[in-house]
Amino acid sequence: MTFKNLFIEHSRSDEEEAWLQEEIEEQEARFLAIEQAMEDLTPRRARWYQEFFDRITTIGFNVDGDDKRVIPRAGLPVQPEGRRDRVVWKYGADSED
Amino acid sequence: MARPHIEPFCDRDVSFKNMTLPGFGRGMRYKMLSLDADTGACTMTVQLDGGYHQPPGFSWSELELIVVEGEVHLGERVLRKGHYLYAPAGYALPALSAPQGALVLLMYNTGEPSHVESDQHHAEAQAQLYHDVDAYMDLAWAPGNVTRPSVASGCLIKLLNYNPISHAMTFLYCMTPAFYQDNISYHDCAEESYHLWGTSWMMQFGDVPTGGYFWRPAYINHGAFASQYGCIALGRVDSKLFNHFHYNPWSTPVENQQRSAARVYQRDPLLYRWMVSHSHNHPHGPEDFEQTQAVRGEGYDHDQASVSDGKEHSHWHRHEHVHDHEHD
Repeated sequence: MTFKNLFIEHSRSDEEEAWLQEEIEEQEARFLAIEQAMEDLTPRRARWYQEFFDRITTIGFNVDGDDKRVIPRAGLPVQPEGRRDRVVWKYGADSED
Repeated sequence: MARPHIEPFCDRDVSFKNMTLPGFGRGMRYKMLSLDADTGACTMTVQLDGGYHQPPGFSWSELELIVVEGEVHLGERVLRKGHYLYAPAGYALPALSAPQGALVLLMYNTGEPSHVESDQHHAEAQAQLYHDVDAYMDLAWAPGNVTRPSVASGCLIKLLNYNPISHAMTFLYCMTPAFYQDNISYHDCAEESYHLWGTSWMMQFGDVPTGGYFWRPAYINHGAFASQYGCIALGRVDSKLFNHFHYNPWSTPVENQQRSAARVYQRDPLLYRWMVSHSHNHPHGPEDFEQTQAVRGEGYDHDQASVSDGKEHSHWHRHEHVHDHEHD
């Protein structure tokens, strides 16, 4: 996080630590539910990908603002072999798996 | 490990909880949207019940607030729907109340929610950084092209907060009805959004409705984008926003990060080589002399200062210039 202009050191009370732990556990459950929901969306998303490819090879890909470039069909990417479609990454590039 | 990827999430799907942390009193209820497990920094939808009152005081964390529904009384002032405020850590806000109740979005950026009763700022507070604005009434929409390459023209923003060091931003953004943008994007920064009203769609996650939310770590693909009827949202990025556009939905965050680094190498090869070859990989970055250099301090008298030869200096100087008038 780099929002901060300032961090003022302070100590957490036991009450605050307990609150934080409870919120962390609830967030973990929330994350797992989201991850599952996004996994369940995979078949529908596959259609959305295909529609996206159809549009960028006919109407065009937004390169910058409203400037568009039509992508040749031969230039479309292919899904790497063995790589599942995944959109949720717990810690982005630092995700463990 | 910072905040995890929470996307998509809708606060309408969960119930409010009573705020039990000390300092906040009764009548404050919240829905946690995302939380940093280390620092306690978080974003919450907060319901202030009718009659809620909070005495003057400060937070150990910097905080941001926007009124989503209703009115918040802050001292003698009334903050209406769309009013935004930024309070640095240690800044003592006046008494806060909600006689008729209010719904607000509350963001604690550097620590868990806290309220220390006080009518004085903390000694370390950078009080001059405080600012607030009626974001709905007193700011005009501007094109969303704050960075190039840019979002499509139907995405507009109102800048609410900007950190000149990290380039972190808080902003309102809207998508006009029938907005669409056909590319996949990722950024070198984390991004957060809360839908104040309306629905937008992203190819990876589907619809984000009113009350919809995401906290997305850096380098995660999102888009294409669309909004059938338009939407308005509060957005934040935690450092400089750059749009890396592409059309490969199967790239991973690590591959996206490598592409970002490759683009730095292509754009700034000398800087890239220096950073890599000299192992300048300290987690806090190399030293910025402008932030650490010795300075003269408040007592310095510029006019009486001596120059290096021991004589007082003056501002007389000689230079050639064209005359088009006579001197007395």
